[in-house]
Amino acid sequence: MQLLDIRNLTVEMKTPHGIVRVLDKVNLQLGKGEIHSLVGESGSGKSLLAKAIVGFTNPNWEVTADRLWWNGQDLLAMNTKQRRAVTGRDMAMIFQDPYSYLDPNSTVEQQIVEAIPEGDVRGTFMRRRVDRKTRVKRLLHRVGIRDHESVIDSYPFELSQGVAQKVSIAIAIAHRPRLLIADEPTTAMEPSTKLQIHRLLARLAASQEMSVLLISQDLTSILPETKQLTLLYCGQLMETGPAEEVINHPAHPYTDSMLRMSLQTQQELPHKARLPTLPGAIPTLRHMPIGCRLGPRCPYAQKQCVKAPLATQKQQRVFHCHFPLLELES
Amino acid sequence: MIRYLSSRLFVFIIAFFLLTVFTFSLNFFFPGDPVTNMTGVRTFSDYYPVISEIRGADKNIAFQYINYMQNLLSGNWGASLSSGDYVFEHTYQHLFASLELIVGALVLAVLIGVLSGIFAATQFRGPIDKGVISLAMAGYSIPVFWLAQLLILFFAVKLDWLPITGQINPLYGIAPQSGSILIDIVISDSDYKAAALQDALNHLILPVIILSIMPMMLLLRLMRNATQEMLQKPYVKAARARGLNEFQVLIKHAVPNATQSVLQQVPLIFSLLLSNSIVIESIFNWPGIGNWLVRAIFERDFPVIQACVLIIALTILLFNLVVDLYRGWRFPIVRQE
Repeated sequence: MQLLDIRNLTVEMKTPHGIVRVLDKVNLQLGKGEIHSLVGESGSGKSLLAKAIVGFTNPNWEVTADRLWWNGQDLLAMNTKQRRAVTGRDMAMIFQDPYSYLDPNSTVEQQIVEAIPEGDVRGTFMRRRVDRKTRVKRLLHRVGIRDHESVIDSYPFELSQGVAQKVSIAIAIAHRPRLLIADEPTTAMEPSTKLQIHRLLARLAASQEMSVLLISQDLTSILPETKQLTLLYCGQLMETGPAEEVINHPAHPYTDSMLRMSLQTQQELPHKARLPTLPGAIPTLRHMPIGCRLGPRCPYAQKQCVKAPLATQKQQRVFHCHFPLLELES
Repeated sequence: MIRYLSSRLFVFIIAFFLLTVFTFSLNFFFPGDPVTNMTGVRTFSDYYPVISEIRGADKNIAFQYINYMQNLLSGNWGASLSSGDYVFEHTYQHLFASLELIVGALVLAVLIGVLSGIFAATQFRGPIDKGVISLAMAGYSIPVFWLAQLLILFFAVKLDWLPITGQINPLYGIAPQSGSILIDIVISDSDYKAAALQDALNHLILPVIILSIMPMMLLLRLMRNATQEMLQKPYVKAARARGLNEFQVLIKHAVPNATQSVLQQVPLIFSLLLSNSIVIESIFNWPGIGNWLVRAIFERDFPVIQACVLIIALTILLFNLVVDLYRGWRFPIVRQE
């Protein structure tokens, strides 16, 4: 059984210009201890999807789904309190800017202690204090901060970006969640710090049996250990499947263009060559194309693309396109 | 912290220096003889030539200022022109009487203002929030002197629950020693200590409440806005998502951060409180520094005016310093600014 099972998740936002469908029938499955990468450009609704999963929603969002199951429980059928209990126990989230997600006026220790479940520490008052402190140190070691002495009493603004992100990971894993959602955790970080955070996430996923949903903007910053890969564009699911297959044999024109973009950063282009980007720009929320939202920018688009393509399944892969780049004879 | 501490102390010392330069120059701006204005010794007095010699009236201005500072720091603040009493001893008595009101008003304002501000923030845009905020607006806009008259008319004259003016019923015969009536009662050898204390507290109620209303409403609004803002911060949302309940989120994250930003405004509120206390003391005939200052101005009692200005400004400066140091100690991020 899948740990997280999402079918046809739709999020609609009420804006002054009418209702905007920011996530359109998105499917996502996530197994135990699996690393799943969610890739999409800005405005693709990838963060929104994460927020919908943990219930981090605003009152003017309407979240509907045929299925939003966590470990066999229907999250949408729960009330806010029950849902907070479930998500607070089983899920954790880290974000792009660690500083704004850490309280500037509490020390690292206070913030990690707060995340350690009460049930974990037992005994008398003093015993519990000592116990908490050792747990904090152990958590800091686990996220790769060896020099805990200098970090433990620091305030977030005294830490470097990488260390701050590690601290927020320590907070996230303090209650041993079964799912860690990492929302662009390494954007705007130095390459070496980025690599450290990525390795840390992969190690945690392997050693703690923790699933990781890694959200990133492009294919260059996904983990090599990624098992499943999902691409979103403007709230629509483009393609999903085992990462290796998707990358080696893209079925969707969008995946193909994203791949070219990421390859282009690694190899040199001839002088004055055109960048292999899709024509046009990402549409604004108010001007979403009908049908396949990639349509106006897609080099393969034809008349049919004004109707949203149905899902095509090929073995473990699913893609939404009228004109896939794969041969479908099998 | 050392850096922050020394920078704050430096600012304090500079401000204190400018303040003394100002009070020193007042002696020359006031009409009459500067030495008389400084010491309260009149020109026709027998002591005048001696005092004038000591104060260096014929020397240059820098020498006079240093001389002035020496006298100031050794507590030699001259004598009142109208009563002939030594100013320094009276200054701290009046100051204590004032502080009794001011501290009471500040405590009341912080308690009620901050708590209801936090409460209003949790009810943001709800009917309770709107009600509290409109009330705060109204409370803030009412002139203090008018409100004082109104409340005296109602509670003291019409209902006869509270006394109209003064610190205590003079029949108790409490000798003024420290200036603060409550301390005086406790250290006095009166047979009716409990009754006197009761009476003194009754006298305190009205001025303290009236004095506290404006800072209370200001604090309420500041605290409500700051807490509301903090409740929108990502780290608060993250704490909620981690499973903390609303109360824990408020106490552990929203309120400390809101306090950090509100504390910046507290010295301003304190100086507003001090200037309001001058009005209130005059209305309630409270023997505080403000009342004394107003009387001294009417009587052209220059040594007393100087002392009052100096001590009021110094109180504000000291309060500022304490608040700054507390902020720096409790909220280390402040030291970075």
